[in-house]
Amino acid sequence: MRRVGGGMSAFVAFAVGVATILSLLLGDNPALFGGQAGSEELARRLALPGDVLLRLVVIVVALSIVIGVANLLFVHVGRAARGAFTSAVVLASFAFTIYWYVSRRGDTSLLEAVQVPIESALAALLFLSLTLGGARILQKRADIWGLLFVVVAVIVLLGSIPLAELAPVKALSDWLLAIPVSAGARAILLGIALGAVVAGVRALLGQDRAFRG
Amino acid sequence: MTEQTMAIVSFVLTLMVFSYVLGDLPLIGVLYRTAIFIFVGMTAAFTLVVTYEGLILPYLQDSQDTSASWTTLGASADIYIFFTALLFALLLLLKPVRPLTWLTNSALAVVIVVGASVAVVGALSGTLFPLLGATIALPENSATEFSALLESLLLFVGTMTGLFYFHYQVRATGAPQPSRLGQGLRHIGKAFIVTALGAIYASTILSSLTILTERISFLFQFGA
Repeated sequence: MRRVGGGMSAFVAFAVGVATILSLLLGDNPALFGGQAGSEELARRLALPGDVLLRLVVIVVALSIVIGVANLLFVHVGRAARGAFTSAVVLASFAFTIYWYVSRRGDTSLLEAVQVPIESALAALLFLSLTLGGARILQKRADIWGLLFVVVAVIVLLGSIPLAELAPVKALSDWLLAIPVSAGARAILLGIALGAVVAGVRALLGQDRAFRG
Repeated sequence: MTEQTMAIVSFVLTLMVFSYVLGDLPLIGVLYRTAIFIFVGMTAAFTLVVTYEGLILPYLQDSQDTSASWTTLGASADIYIFFTALLFALLLLLKPVRPLTWLTNSALAVVIVVGASVAVVGALSGTLFPLLGATIALPENSATEFSALLESLLLFVGTMTGLFYFHYQVRATGAPQPSRLGQGLRHIGKAFIVTALGAIYASTILSSLTILTERISFLFQFGA
């Protein structure tokens, strides 16, 4: 029964995946069909399965977010009942935000007074962590690659200082950003894109473990 | 909320987060954790509000508007899609029920595969083809300027050796070692990747330094 179920999930995955990919690639593009009479109608019909499936998945994801938030609240209600102070803070903060939203629609001052300062302060703390991390790279990884990493980071940092004395460093930093960094970033992006294609095709072929049970 | 109250709340919360620098001391550690859990509760509430107001509510409103249908199937299509999505969400909740696993997995398969299809089409048309096209294209002034041609060549070599540096499969035990040329190309690719990561690291440090400066100036302005 389990094998039959796994086979069914794989079949559903393949059928839905092929329909979505064909619909996304061929739909809403009458030029592909030579612009002849009826090609617009054909392109529109081909786009329909993709549109329906995307709308379906967007709503499922939205409902999953609601379920996720509900789960978070249930977990913290249980912990708060056992006397956890931090869980009580989460619940109070959640309840107050919902109350604020319902009673003062369109008022974003709570977001500006609480959410933005905490996010900014956390991002500011990142500076200390990154600087310490950069200093530790040479301790933990004292090889050519660790040295190259730190040297490039220092050149880019120095190049951002608007001082006339540092003009040669700025020129070097600009060149680094324009050529080697651009090449490395392109390689990383292409690698990510190739990885996404491979992972997507694996899912289409039913090889993804998440829905095979 | 008045501006004065907003400034006091911002000041206190910023100090609570910055207390992290002092370490996990008995009383001070609580301040940082409290700020973080306020943030968690508020983020959960805002996520819920945005999901409801930005996705679910407009969808339900669209489905009641018979004049504005996105498909020839009519406005009723939206209602059918919504109830199917509701059924899928319920099926996802039934994941722990063993006899229904196959049904739950089929619902999960639809969600994963549609996401994967969008990712494949997006990666192909949005990243792979445009970036490869830009990498192999010659600069417009390559005939007159040798340096522009050299830079394009360097960009091409860096991108290709960087891609060559990645491994897409596990090396089998006992498989022959890569050739010296292959190893050399991998080293060149690694140099480009490390250079890019170093620059990205520096950019992140600069961004966080800008934010730190803004926060510290806010604390001083408030104190003055």
